[in-house]
Amino acid sequence: MTDSRRLLLDRFKKLAITGETSYAVYSHLHTGMSDPRRLFQSVIESVGGECRFVADTEAARKAVAGSEVLLAAKQVCSYIKEIAQGNFDAEAMADAHQCADVDLTIVRGELGVAEDGAVWVNADLLRHRALLFLSENLILVVKGQDIVPDMESAYARIDFTRLRSGYFISGPSKTADIEQCLVIGAHGAKSLLVLVVG
Amino acid sequence: MKGHARLAAAFLKQEERAHWHDQALWYVREKRDRMAASIPDWEALRETAQAIKRHALANLPSYLEEFERNAVARGAIVHYALDAAEHNRIVLEILKRRNARLVAKSKSMLSEECSLNEFLEQHGVEVVETDLAERIIQLAGERPSHIVLPSIHIRKEEVGEIFHEHLGTESGESDPTRLTRAARAHLREKFLAAEAGISGVNFAVAETGAVVICTNEGNADLGNSLPDLYIAVMGVEKVIPKTRDLSVFLRLLSRSATGQPISAYTSHLLGPRPGQEMHVVVVDNGRSEILQREKFYKAAFCIRCGACLNTCPVYRRSGGHSYNFVIPGPIGTILAMHRDLKKYKDMPYASTLCGSCSAVCPVKIDIHRQIVLWRNAVVEAGYLGWAKSAALKTATLGMKSTRLFRLGGWVVRRLSRVLPPAVFNNRLTIWGKSRDLPKMPARSFRAEYRSYSRSKKKRLESRVGREGRS
Repeated sequence: MTDSRRLLLDRFKKLAITGETSYAVYSHLHTGMSDPRRLFQSVIESVGGECRFVADTEAARKAVAGSEVLLAAKQVCSYIKEIAQGNFDAEAMADAHQCADVDLTIVRGELGVAEDGAVWVNADLLRHRALLFLSENLILVVKGQDIVPDMESAYARIDFTRLRSGYFISGPSKTADIEQCLVIGAHGAKSLLVLVVG
Repeated sequence: MKGHARLAAAFLKQEERAHWHDQALWYVREKRDRMAASIPDWEALRETAQAIKRHALANLPSYLEEFERNAVARGAIVHYALDAAEHNRIVLEILKRRNARLVAKSKSMLSEECSLNEFLEQHGVEVVETDLAERIIQLAGERPSHIVLPSIHIRKEEVGEIFHEHLGTESGESDPTRLTRAARAHLREKFLAAEAGISGVNFAVAETGAVVICTNEGNADLGNSLPDLYIAVMGVEKVIPKTRDLSVFLRLLSRSATGQPISAYTSHLLGPRPGQEMHVVVVDNGRSEILQREKFYKAAFCIRCGACLNTCPVYRRSGGHSYNFVIPGPIGTILAMHRDLKKYKDMPYASTLCGSCSAVCPVKIDIHRQIVLWRNAVVEAGYLGWAKSAALKTATLGMKSTRLFRLGGWVVRRLSRVLPPAVFNNRLTIWGKSRDLPKMPARSFRAEYRSYSRSKKKRLESRVGREGRS
């Protein structure tokens, strides 16, 4: 194996790419965006998710309490106790497989990206990152001040030094693999609600 | 082996399906255009993406080592494979050591390139493709016809039949939602039972050792988080220098691929999850040869978005299975030729050279130019075939001599009026398969132009004369 490593690396020492190859310092910020929050919302809706703005944690709690997904859920796993109590503690489970029947998971998103409706979730805060994909429904809670215009701004704010896993999640799981017909809910969450607080 | 033209003819026999295929892909292409127009710096992003690829690949050994160092520091185990056989062997060994018999696999064009599934199945490992399209293909016993939409050639009624046979759905079911739900339930069981997960890689970040995977279904995510063993397989060209560079590629990838702003899930994995063993297999399998060819090295910049397939008038109308290489369409052509010039000699001719592929490529690969150069290579190697060679040699003769060219025109103009059309358009003339020879004009272009210039001169003279008088 170590032999292949040396051989492989050697193969790439003499290539056809010549001359100066360093690339210029670039910045492609999404400028001219009139209202990042509205764009964030409309992009999420365009990819099959839902996005709601609430004034504070109390309003968020009420929004979740009244949501259909909560009312229909048997197992609810909440990582934000101020917003929902939940009745399933994924942290107490030794194995991710035990989270297979969770109906609703509520977690914090650290960032929202306006240009593509993606929410950054630091999965290190969860004992079982599989929960994010096993759960039938997902609610992500993002602070209003954490909506950034574009991916470049988003990556500038994410700290990778100690991170083990993180996800940009944009909309519920979906597929169009059968005749290009969009079907929401492929393997992961069948619905996604993004709550923007403040 | 049948060439592209014959395979395409078979595809086109089913007219309704061929038309649907064309329209469905054109729709994706149009979505891509809308998405590209929705962000201000699209063209600049493409430039930057190419510059990053160029830089990363020119300095591949150091970036691979940096990636390895960082991934290992996070607890991943990094392997290197020179070719497909070594890649397959490494994956099998890892699985065997952990006694893994059932694998939940996510989409990976590299694994298709290496025929990993067949190899593992031969050695008693059950591999379950978990991307819906890949699962459909796997159950049907076919190969993908598109690199992003692998089952685009299969209609929903056929999916219904496949699922009826293998998943026990109701006979005659063809509703995409119900079929997808059935697949979800079936694959959820597999996810929960799998002893290992395997996935491809979209980007590997040297700076952090992160492996980045983009999916819409969430299958890669279940596959890399549930089992205690996870293997990521990647071609060397997936390495990019910095985290920041991800912003450039992610903004381009999904928009180019499916016309989405970003895929539903973009996973960043830095080492295994607690309690897990994570391997990354880095594969050359011919990439170093591509990068050593002066006129062709940019083919290795490809990020496998499939935009060139969606836009290609030939791909859309002939289907992915008309190309004999694992990757079809324009990018498939310029990758296949590095493998086997003789075997894939027909692929550069499955092109109109319209250049649309190069125009949409997010990393600005000069695809259509390379296709022309590959035609040169095919001719130089003597693989063109006697009929085409003879036709082109005759044409060359005529084009080189003004007298011969004029004489030829004169003869054909006259003969075409006297002889029956079958003389010009028969079984031997492929060109006439779906066209008729146009009616020949009475005079040559040369003669027309001469009389046109003469009359124009006269008109000018008379106008000058009139203006002079007034």
